[in-house]
Order: sequence, then C-alpha cells, then structure tokens
Amino acid sequence: MIETLYGLDRLGTPAAFFLALLLGGAFGFALERAGFGSSRRLAGIFYFRDMAVLKVMFTAVVTAMLGLSYLQSLGWIGPEQVYLMPSIYGAQAIGGLVFGVGFVMSGWCPGTAAVGAASGKLDALVFLGGAVLGGVVFNELFAVVAPLYAWGDGGVSMAFAALGMSRAAFAFLFVLAAVGCFWGAEFVERRVAGTGEFLGGRFLKAFSLVLVVLAAGLFIFPAGGAGPGAPAPSPAAAAPGGESALLRAVEAAADHVEPEDLADRMMRGEEDLLVVDVRPAEEFAGFRLRGAVNVPIAELAAFLEPRRNRGTVVLYSNGMVHPAQARDSLARAGHDNVYILTDGLEGFAERCLKPASLRAGSVPPAEAARIDAWRGYFSRPDAPPARPVRVEAPRAGLPGLVSAEWLAANLGRKGLKVVDLREQKDYNGAHVPGALSLHPESLRGNAGGLPSMLLPAGLLAAKFSLMGIQPVDTVVFVHSGDRLRDSTLAAMACERLGHERYAILDGGWEAWQAAQLPADARLPEVRRLSYPAPAEPDRFTVDYRVVLAELGGGTVILDVRPADFFSGRKRDEARGGHIPGAVNRDFALDLAPKGSAGSLKPVGELAAAYAALVPSNDAPVIVHCRTGHQASQTWFVLRRVLGYRDVRWYDAGWTEWAARPELPVE
Amino acid sequence: MNPYLAGVLLGLVLLASFLVLGAGLGASSGLARIGAFAEGCILPGHVRSSAYFGKWAENPLGYYLVFMLAGTFLGGLVSALLAGRVRVGVERGAAFPARRRLLLALAGGVIAGFASRLAQGCTSGQALTGSALLLSGSLVFLLCVFAGGYAAAWFVRRQWHD
Repeated sequence: MIETLYGLDRLGTPAAFFLALLLGGAFGFALERAGFGSSRRLAGIFYFRDMAVLKVMFTAVVTAMLGLSYLQSLGWIGPEQVYLMPSIYGAQAIGGLVFGVGFVMSGWCPGTAAVGAASGKLDALVFLGGAVLGGVVFNELFAVVAPLYAWGDGGVSMAFAALGMSRAAFAFLFVLAAVGCFWGAEFVERRVAGTGEFLGGRFLKAFSLVLVVLAAGLFIFPAGGAGPGAPAPSPAAAAPGGESALLRAVEAAADHVEPEDLADRMMRGEEDLLVVDVRPAEEFAGFRLRGAVNVPIAELAAFLEPRRNRGTVVLYSNGMVHPAQARDSLARAGHDNVYILTDGLEGFAERCLKPASLRAGSVPPAEAARIDAWRGYFSRPDAPPARPVRVEAPRAGLPGLVSAEWLAANLGRKGLKVVDLREQKDYNGAHVPGALSLHPESLRGNAGGLPSMLLPAGLLAAKFSLMGIQPVDTVVFVHSGDRLRDSTLAAMACERLGHERYAILDGGWEAWQAAQLPADARLPEVRRLSYPAPAEPDRFTVDYRVVLAELGGGTVILDVRPADFFSGRKRDEARGGHIPGAVNRDFALDLAPKGSAGSLKPVGELAAAYAALVPSNDAPVIVHCRTGHQASQTWFVLRRVLGYRDVRWYDAGWTEWAARPELPVE
Repeated sequence: MNPYLAGVLLGLVLLASFLVLGAGLGASSGLARIGAFAEGCILPGHVRSSAYFGKWAENPLGYYLVFMLAGTFLGGLVSALLAGRVRVGVERGAAFPARRRLLLALAGGVIAGFASRLAQGCTSGQALTGSALLLSGSLVFLLCVFAGGYAAAWFVRRQWHD
C-alpha cells in the first residue's frame, strides 16, 4: 500500500520540497523533449499547423489516468492518498476561456514558459513576468472577483460519477476519444501542413491498439471497487506529528464550537457550514437543530469524505462524548475541518434556547433580544435542511433493502426519489411525503408476441424520464404488505437500465405506518428529465433458447411457482407441469409471516434454504415463474440479498414454455 | 522526439507525482507565490491583510509547487543543453517586429496568470493533472482553454507570419 506525502500530511516538509524539485526536473525535461520549449510549436495547434500539444497532452493524460486506475483497482494506492481538486464549474469555465486567450496571444503557458526561458527564449521570460503580475492583479481585484472564484462550486466531482457511468466505461470512452483525436490531428496536419507523418503508419496503429486494450482491461475490476470517491479513510494515514497535533488541539479546546457562536452562524445561513446530528434517527425526528442533517456515527467518514477540509462541519449529540470520539477519529483520517458543539444539545438548549425570563439573575436587554431571536429561529418546527444534502449510503449498500428509519432520515435530501407501487387509490389516501406513484404493471407489456414482458430499456428510460429520475438518484420502492414482488419487478427495471442506486423499503408501506412516520396526500413536483437508455441489452434476462441449451447441464433451473402448478395438478397455461430437471421453491416461502418486521425471512434462514438447492454462490441459476413477476422476487433474494453471482431471469416463463409444443415438459 | 512517446514520458512523470507527492504537477501556483513574495517585499502590511495572498504571507515561497517550478526550469535547461537547443532570442515570425511580439507575450502572461488563479490551476495543474484524475471541473477547464484559444487565434495570427 503506497502512502503519499499528501496522505501523510507532509507536503509542507523540506523532504517534500526536495522531491517536488526532482519531479519538476523530470517535468521540465519531458516538456523540453516534447518540443515545448518553443512558442511557435505550442501555438501551432491553434492554426492546425502542428498538433503536438494535443498529441503530447492527451497521451500524458491517458497514460497517467490508466496507470493510476490500475494501481487503485489493484489496491496498491488508496483513493484518499491523492489530492482531488474541487470542481468549481463557473470559475473553471470562465478561467479556462480567459486562459486560452492568454495562451494563444503569448504562445506560452506557465510550465512551458519555464522551459522556454531555460532555452533562452526572451518572450518566455516576459510571459513569466506577466503571469506573476497577473497573480498580483488577481490578489488586488479579489474583492471583485471573489463571487466568480466560488461560482458553481460542485465539490469534488468525478466526471464518470457526474455522468452516471462506471469508472471503467468512462475511461474507455475517454481513451477512444483520445485515439480519435490522434488520428484526427495527424489527418489535419497532413491536409494543412503536409506533415502528419504518423497517419496510417504502423506506429500509430500499434500505439492506438495498446491504449484501447489497456483501457478495456479496466473492465475486469468490479465497478466502484476502489475508485476515488470510495470512502476509505485509513487511520494509518496519521503522521507521527498528527497525533500530538491532535492532542494539542484537544487541550486547547480548538476542536470546540460554542453554542452561541453556532446559533449565530446557523441563523446567518453561513454557506459552508454543515451541522451534523449523530443521534439515532428517532431522536432526530423528535427534535433537531434547524438545518442539521442526521448521519449515524458509523457512516460519518463516508458521508463527510466529499467535504474533507472544505467548509466547517460541526457534530453534535445530546452530550459530548460520542461526537468528540468521532471528531478525533476523523481528524486522524485527515479531516481538519470538523468541530464538536460544546456541551452538546443539552448545552445548546440551556445556553441558547432557555427563555430569558427563566434564567438566574437579570439578563441585559441586548442579550435577551439575542435569546429571543435564537428561540424564534430554532423553535420553528420541521424546518427543511438549509442546504441540499445528498443521500447517505445505507449500511447494507445498494442495491438492497432499507429500513423505514433510514428512509425517514434521508427524506427530502437531494438525489432521493421515492416510488410508491401501491394501488393508486391507496397512494391518493396517504403516502411517504414526496413519493411518486407508479403502477408496477405499467413496466410490462407485450413484446415480440409474448405477454407481460418487462419493457425494453428505451421505454423504461422514457418512464424514468417522465418521473424526473436521473441516473445519479437513489430510488426507493415502496410496496404494499406482502407484495414485495412489485418492488422487485421495479428493481428489474432498474437493473435493466443499469441503475444500481436503488433500494426497497423493508416491510413496505406497512413498516412506514407502523413506525408512525409522517405521511401526506400531496402530489410531488416533478421536472421532466432525460434518462439515458443503455445501448447494450441487460445480461441477466434469458429466453427459452438459452434455457433449452442449458437443460441437463450444470445450470439450476429454479421454478418459483406454487407447488401445485409445478407438479401440474393446477394449470393456467396450455400445458401443465414444469421444465425437465427444474427444482421448485415457491417464492412465497421467502416472505416473512404477516405482522413481522421485515419483508423477507431472516437472511440466515434464506441462505440455508437456497444452499440446499444451489450447489454454490457461483453456480449458474435461471429463475422463472409464470409471467416473470414472482421470479423477480427470487432473483432479487438470490442476487441482491444472498449475493449469488450468476443468477438469470427467464422473464417469459411458463406462459411461453407451455405454449411452444416443441419444448419438453415433465 | 516522437510526440506520443514524449507524452508517455510526461504521463509517467505525472503518475510518479501522484504516487510520491499524492498531488499532480503544477506551475502557475509557483508563479503566484513569487508574486506574493515580490509584492510582500514592497508592501508587507498590505499583503498580510489582503484576502487572497494574505493566507500565504508568512512564507510565500515555502510551498512544494514553488520548488516544482524551479525544478521545471532546471529540467528544461538540462534537456535543452544536452540537445544543443539553448539560443537566446525572441521567437516570432520573421515579418513581425520583436517588440510587438514581446508585448503580446507580456499581455498574454498577465491574462494567463490571472485566469490560472481564477480557475485554481493552469494547463499543468488543471488540464493535465485534473483530467488524468477524471475530475469534472478540470475537464471543463481543458475544453474551455481550447475554446478560448481557437476563438482568439485569428486576431494574433500575424506574429507567426514569416
């Protein structure tokens, strides 16, 4: 495991300065070898004479990107070990446009000008002087440009995540674009300047192939395994000096925020202040500081990762012990912007919210007015969070089941979409606040002559678009009572779209009601968006040909219809019975008895039941029922609850099998 | 040198920087620090109280990217000396006066220096490093640099006419 100077918090040490000098030397050497000690060469790209800038830069970006992606995927270097700059879209777009003008005027940029100056170019030296002056001008005008400097702050944003793609898919497209640019650059050079010496040559063909193969190789790693953004703050990253610095901060109480100070800052609506309540969700639902968000301590590190050292984070609980421990742990993992509230919520109530009239001694009028203002602000019930906060990841991960408490704690957060699958009249009566209504049957239809098939990705994407769902959203499905299969059918729609950020409310609507959580009958505001449909068909749906081909092989055909239909005693189809060699487990056997807390039986019980039917977690399984609805539930149980890896779904099921007389029946 | 192989070399240097420093390459920060140092020599009180340079005022040059910039100069010098490419002069088209070329370089420098502070990086720190990390804002910056460059290219084309 590689530990970087940034990870060790030692970028400010003389050793780091020396290493930066050496790396700078290599940087300058590479730039000079690339021919970038010449402004004429650099400017060439803007006149299509000489595209070297594009070739060198794109190659360098792709090389470093592939190298780092491989090392991270192999687990040699943790994502927290590399500094990730925040994306401030407005500032970077305007800055880029203006920078481009300066670049083409001078023929230099800062790094290349240093090399140009070393090569004796006086224009490079003048450029460097100008750039220093430009920094001074920026400092002098900072009061004016400060809003632009912070305009469009999106935090740390990975491009693939922002586009809802996997890291590997984005990297692959990126490399394809780079290779396309190389060929385009050679072509342009040949047309404009008569050069383009690599066009169609063996070198460029081989080079392109190597890059594409290396990029394709990234697909062998599990998605989201170890890309940046994966929360993995390691306590080992603490420097020896870090622990004593931590203790010094504790001793000086520099890790505290006083209640009065916090109250004022929250009332002012301070931009970069995030107040986190670490108490259980029920207590949070009862009373909270207005604008605070609720995050369990176990999930803090992951939740705060995007805000590492950005803005101010204040943790509070009833007392001080738990937040203090959490803060120290976060500080060891390199978060130096986390504070705790002095005396916790109890202290806050005592010092800020207690009416002046109940306080010992007389309260000066100015102080009394301040207390009244705090009381007015913080006593307003159900104040929405001051700033949108993204949904936290449920403990069991996504896709999966979530509890009503989890849903309650995340309700109203940015990126959460609740979809209610109950009958419309039930939905109209009361639903989870903000939930959209969706009839599960509307996800199916006749396809290729087969009734009730899950719709193709394009139509599902259109439905998601109408519901205003985006690929980055976390979708939570709510079903009624024992109709978990409605949620799992909707889950299949997500799976077909490659939308893995979904969850099913464990216990459905009844669990929400039982927890006495708020409900209303209001219709949500929905903005129609465009949900992209994947170009590839999904990999888990099979047709009868695949089932037929795998009969008698190692594949377990799991028929989840009730036993009477499996045996043929009852039938709704052209023929009774089952696929030869199929095993039977009624999907309803996986459901918990009525009146119990969850939708499903305990995981241990389910695991034991399926272990008796399927030889291993890697064994190929095909599930089916009559129409695909019940089988979607078994598919979800096997794939997403029990972690079986090779589970496929014969959607058309017995409806089709029975109606094709050429297919064998037992 | 073959530009693709030069690019691979540059990419490996960038990768080494990620692995050793935990941060990519940068050049414009070093220049800004020099600006803060220079302004501090003339107006120390003003720099200490200014909103942007103020946080560096203690020791503006005590920063790894200042050393990286110095290294870039030295590395470029070594390479250019080895290849016999050190020639003092003003690079320009033969038909364009040297003084006007220097004026363009100066104005371009001021603009680029200012813009790199606004975007928190230049071609090295944002376009190269940030793009290799697949950061959204850095990719936006990269595209905008080329958009800005192509938009202005026609107006300054004469400096390269022979």
